Amino acid sequence: MARIAEAAGMDDVNSSATPTSIIISFRCKGLDHTRMVRTPMRTINLNKITLVNDVSRRFVGGSITLDQAYFTLCEIDQKKPLYPKWMQHMAAAFASGSFSMLTGGTWYDLAPSALAGLIVNLSLEYLEQFVRMKFFTEFSAALLGGLFALLAVTLFPQLHISIIIIGAMLPLFPGIAITNSLRDLMAGDLVAGVSRGVEAMLTAVSVAVATAIILWFMR
Amino acid sequence: MLLKGLALSLVSSMAWCVLFNVPVRTIFAGGVAGMVGFLVSSLLPILNAEVLLSTFVSAAIVSLLSQGMSIYLRVPSTNFSVAGIIPLVPGSLAYRSMLAFVNNNYIEGITLATKTLMVAGAIASGLIFGISVVTIVKGARHAGKRAQ
Repeated sequence: MARIAEAAGMDDVNSSATPTSIIISFRCKGLDHTRMVRTPMRTINLNKITLVNDVSRRFVGGSITLDQAYFTLCEIDQKKPLYPKWMQHMAAAFASGSFSMLTGGTWYDLAPSALAGLIVNLSLEYLEQFVRMKFFTEFSAALLGGLFALLAVTLFPQLHISIIIIGAMLPLFPGIAITNSLRDLMAGDLVAGVSRGVEAMLTAVSVAVATAIILWFMR
Repeated sequence: MLLKGLALSLVSSMAWCVLFNVPVRTIFAGGVAGMVGFLVSSLLPILNAEVLLSTFVSAAIVSLLSQGMSIYLRVPSTNFSVAGIIPLVPGSLAYRSMLAFVNNNYIEGITLATKTLMVAGAIASGLIFGISVVTIVKGARHAGKRAQ
């Protein structure tokens, strides 16, 4: 961001980005300007990051002008998600099913854990519209997936509940938060890194508590 | 058995890539990163490596590989490393620790929870290792240019 601003002819650029707000301050023609933007809604879209990164590289390299860059960024913002919703839910199901097989499940465990992963991802999406609290959403999604696993094991006792629960919780694994937090910490952005790390830890704790409740039902 | 694991880790990592909206041309590369991570973490125990060591080494290899692929494909390296660490997630350890807690078996629960945290720390430090190696190499090249 600082590189874009300097390429656009501003001096003394300072920018600070945390997961909830972006602050940039710069000096242009002898006047100081500061702007802060809060980000109340966050989604994870690595495709957008890639496209924005590409625009920034080309702008700094001088192959496009400021207006062209702004136009391209607006276009990226308006773009629909790369994959339709149903494809993402199917992907969650595939990920859960194959991960449960990786942790030592049999072929019979594949379908129930894929279904449980599908339920977790679906409920994550639909609950997010009603409940504006991310951690409670994750907690209830994990609870629903675990309840489905419990139901499947009650109906077919030869399935392994451990395998199904491990597979079902995979769509909630905060992998991207962990990776980004480490990258921020390594780059010296301590505030952003620590806040992302806490986010990852809270997600992990809510999933663990939901699992514990399911296991307590089973006892 | 190993082939089955390789195919499953490939599918799992590719599905995880779709879940996080990575660009279409990098899905397969993310799957390959996951496959390499699984391969290394399942081959090292044959050489009598501990689970922590094998997790650390495979996370470091995944991180280095994703940095290399990010330079080759010109996309941020998060695209690959996020999918690459999926087969290393200590899901079974975490589950067993929760099971022990629920069964009032607190000592075993704490042991397993500590082990889970250490494996997670091994993944994190492996990723950090890869990132810092690339940063140091870049810095060295930059310093060489400046000296000329």
